[in-house]
Amino acid sequence: MAFNWEDPRPIPKMTVDNQKCNVPLTCKKCLELCPQAVFALITLKYVKYVETNINEPYAYAVRPMHRDKCTGCMECVNACPRDAITVQFGEGEVK
Amino acid sequence: MCQFCMTHGYGKVWYKNAMNYARQMYKLKKHKSSHDHGRDPEGAAALIIAEAVEARGLKPEEFPRLRHMANKVAQEMVAGQVVTLEDAMTMVELASPIALMGCICRKITRGRLEDNEDSYTCMGLGIGMFKWDRWPERYKGGVHFVTVEEAKQWLVKWHNKGMVASLMTHGTPYIGGLCMCDYPDCLAIRYRLDYGINQLFKGEFVAKLDYDKCCGCGTCVERCQFGAIKFEVTIEKTNIDQFRCFGCGVCMTTCPTGAISMVDRKTLPGLREVW
Repeated sequence: MAFNWEDPRPIPKMTVDNQKCNVPLTCKKCLELCPQAVFALITLKYVKYVETNINEPYAYAVRPMHRDKCTGCMECVNACPRDAITVQFGEGEVK
Repeated sequence: MCQFCMTHGYGKVWYKNAMNYARQMYKLKKHKSSHDHGRDPEGAAALIIAEAVEARGLKPEEFPRLRHMANKVAQEMVAGQVVTLEDAMTMVELASPIALMGCICRKITRGRLEDNEDSYTCMGLGIGMFKWDRWPERYKGGVHFVTVEEAKQWLVKWHNKGMVASLMTHGTPYIGGLCMCDYPDCLAIRYRLDYGINQLFKGEFVAKLDYDKCCGCGTCVERCQFGAIKFEVTIEKTNIDQFRCFGCGVCMTTCPTGAISMVDRKTLPGLREVW
C-alpha cells in the first residue's frame, strides 16, 4: 500500500471506449465493483449555473486513471454491459 | 515542525487560527496561483495532480517530474490535513456558514451521487458556500446549511462509521472544507498512500497504545484507513505503527478498553518532523 519508487509491477494497457460507454453515470458498474478503484468519472460538461443531466450522452466519461493499480482480474471487462473496456497485460491477449 | 503552524498559525495549531477561515483569506487565492493562466486555480491544480497520477501508469518516466509539480500546487491550492474529531468540532465553531454537501471524490472514484442530508459526506466552510449555486454540477445534489450543533452531530455520525475527518484548503491557508474520508475513495488519502503526492498532511496527533489495557480484540484494526494498525499474533495485542499513523483518532474512539490515546506529535522527537 505504501508508495514505492522501485515498484516493478507490469502496467496494463487499458482503454474505455467512450463512444460505447456514453452515459456512464446511469450504469457505473465498473466504478463500483473494481477492487482496486482503478476508474475515475470525468465530468466533461461543466457549465456555470447549469447542473448536468446524468442521462445526457457524452456529458461524463469513465477513465482508467489508476491503471497502475490494476491486477488484471477482469471484473470490469466481464461486467460492462456495452463491452467498452479492454485490459491488456504485456503483448498478451486483449480481453 | 508543522510548517503551516509556523506560517499560518503564529506557531500554534494553524487550523485553530480564526483568520484562516476569514473572508479576506478567501479572496487571496485568486492572486496566489502562478500556474493557472487565468482559469480557476483550484481546477487547474486538480488537473495537474490528476495528470501526475495518470502518468504513473501511462508514462512512468515522466512521473517523478509531474509528481514534484503536483506536490507544489497541491500544497499551495488544495492542501489537506487529518484532524481528530475533537479538533473538527473546534473548527466548526470557528467557521461560518457551514454547509453539508456531496463528496466530489466519491463521485469521481465510485460514481456515487450524494443528494440528501443523510448521505452527504462533505462539509463546506466559510463565505464561499454562499455562492455554491454558481456551480451546481460541483454541488450536485444540493447543499444543506446547518448550525454548529447539527454540524457536530454530523461529524460524530460519520466518525462513528469509521471515516477520517480531514480539512481542505482552497488557496492555502484559507480553510474551506472538512471532509469525511476513507481509502480508497478519498482522492487525497489515495494520492498520498499510493502515489506519494503529499496533498494530505498527517495530523497534529499520533495514536499511542497502552499494552496493559489492550485486550487484543482487534476492533481498531479494521477501522484504520492508513494500514497503520496490525494485530500482533504472538502477544495477542494490537500494534500501531506510528510512522504510518495519520492521527485521525478513529481507532481511539472505538477501543472498548480505552487503550489508545492520542499524543501530540511534537512531543515525540522521531515524529515531530514527520507530516
